[in-house]
Amino acid sequence: MKLQTQYSRATIISSIVVLLIAGIGYYFLLHYVLTQQLDETLHVEEVEIIDYIQKNQSLPEATTFQDQRTSFRKVSNPIVRHFTTLMLVDSTDGDNELSRQLTFPIAIKGDYYAASVSKSQEETEDLIVLVLLVTLALLLLLGILLFFFNRFILKRLWRPFHDTLSSIKHFDLNAPSPVKVPKTSIDEFNELNESVNMMTEKVMKDYLSLKNFTDHASHEIQTPLAVINSRLDLLIQDPGLSAESLHQVQSVYNAVDKISRICQSLLLLTKIENNQFNDKEQVDIKRVIQDKLTELDEWIHGNSLNIQTDLRLSHVSMNAQLADILISNLVINAIKYTTQNKTITIHANSNRLTISNPGLQKLNDNLIYDRFWKSDKSDGTGLGLAIVKQICDKYGFELKYEYKKEFHQFSVQFN
Amino acid sequence: MKILIIEDEKELAESMIAYLRHESYTCEVASTFNEGLQKIETSDYECIALDITLPGGSGLKLLQELKNNNKSDGVIIISAKDSIQDRINGLKLGADDYLVKPFHLSELAARINAIIRRKVHNGNNILSFNEININTLTKEVTVQEKILELTKKEYELLLYFISNQRRVISKNALVSHLWSYEMGSGSSVDFIYTHIKNLRKKLQEKGSQDYIRSVYGMGYKMTD
Repeated sequence: MKLQTQYSRATIISSIVVLLIAGIGYYFLLHYVLTQQLDETLHVEEVEIIDYIQKNQSLPEATTFQDQRTSFRKVSNPIVRHFTTLMLVDSTDGDNELSRQLTFPIAIKGDYYAASVSKSQEETEDLIVLVLLVTLALLLLLGILLFFFNRFILKRLWRPFHDTLSSIKHFDLNAPSPVKVPKTSIDEFNELNESVNMMTEKVMKDYLSLKNFTDHASHEIQTPLAVINSRLDLLIQDPGLSAESLHQVQSVYNAVDKISRICQSLLLLTKIENNQFNDKEQVDIKRVIQDKLTELDEWIHGNSLNIQTDLRLSHVSMNAQLADILISNLVINAIKYTTQNKTITIHANSNRLTISNPGLQKLNDNLIYDRFWKSDKSDGTGLGLAIVKQICDKYGFELKYEYKKEFHQFSVQFN
Repeated sequence: MKILIIEDEKELAESMIAYLRHESYTCEVASTFNEGLQKIETSDYECIALDITLPGGSGLKLLQELKNNNKSDGVIIISAKDSIQDRINGLKLGADDYLVKPFHLSELAARINAIIRRKVHNGNNILSFNEININTLTKEVTVQEKILELTKKEYELLLYFISNQRRVISKNALVSHLWSYEMGSGSSVDFIYTHIKNLRKKLQEKGSQDYIRSVYGMGYKMTD
């Protein structure tokens, strides 16, 4: 939920609750005040009647004047003075009316009377409801105005935040300069922007040094490897070396080859991660596969492998070098792990590339794309499939491994 | 023939000299940018092996200097960087070849031979080993004037052997010369055996002597 919505919801709900409570309170307060006033009027009436009786020693006439009436009733014992609220029949239209009545005792010449002065309360009630409605309407209007005003203000206030957000979203590690978010008049956002600026600058710096580190480390390793290789190349020229020594030299050669390939693969992975292969072209996948098979022809025939191909016209928009590496890694894997006289099938069309080769056991498909993961038989770097995966991820291709009928099948869905 | 090696890693430079000296090349070494600059300004070389990262400046700058002075020295860049862009940059500036570290000395020798063949022996593209002749322009191989049909890889193999004649070449060097590195090492280098067997058979069929010898299964040597 948006901050604004959440804020509006909270304000609306709390306003309604407060308005309800205040409305009820307001009603009772008004009611109380007005009833007090009415009681005061009745009390004035009472004083007038008592005055009259003291002067005249007789009951005044029972009257009904407008909404006010007076009546007397003879009682045997003196009664207690009290106020009541009750329904009385209106003499003019015969309707029941809510009224306030004050009943008080009078004594004339030894006789006790209960005198009642009553006044209709209808008008008071009407007044209360009217006042209440007007007040509520005003409050409601104020609430609505505040709501829209808040919306508008909030939108304006949050604008710098959205600007910052959008510049963070567009932040590209490979962009030549770090993100610069503009200054605003709001301290909190300025603080945020400063932090964002500082953070992105730091990220850029770290990223650059990491990039350079991998680059440098890989390159720095190549030169000592070149020294080892060249020394071995000289060493094997010595005619006095025994078969055993040469056998050991062979192991060192192989190890050097392997380190060198690991370095190159790691460097390649870093470069793909760093988006250093941004040139794109329409790569003819069919052609790349054919070239690769020609290049590996001796190897394929040397191992007496059959290659069955079904290559359709297929153009994929990607970097040519990465296309070559992608296909090369998959094809070489298939060749490497296929035993003599077996068949490898390669299918390609504009949507899909599938390479399958016979294998005895399903590979662990949770691990095959992990860096340095190797099957038991592998003597490779353990980076080939990681590179394939990285290339597929870069272009959003779906890479799938399946094991069907004793065949490993790798497929790349191009779109 | 004079060759200049501009390489700051002394051990590597020493190995290169030791290997190339056998080919009757005279080698000089420069280990810094300034030393290299001084040498290319004062003398001419048939070929320069040039490292890119040098103390004191980039090897590419030296290359530029060379071209600015209209020198025709052949140049092979030796670099730890192997991206396409690095290669293009080097070749654009006028380098004749680009070799990525780590490399085998036999590979370096073969490539320097090729540059010198092109640059110095202008027109003479014939490479010989006794009765075997290779025309590197037409890629024609003859044994005692009889034409020998070879596959592309067999031709490359023979050329490599003749460029490194009388030297032991490791199987790893042969494999990485003929195929890319990604093929892997270990057991997979063994299938080079079949190709060499075929090449030897074809050569002998045309009346050549059997010059290529196996060295305890770890390498080969072409010698008489």
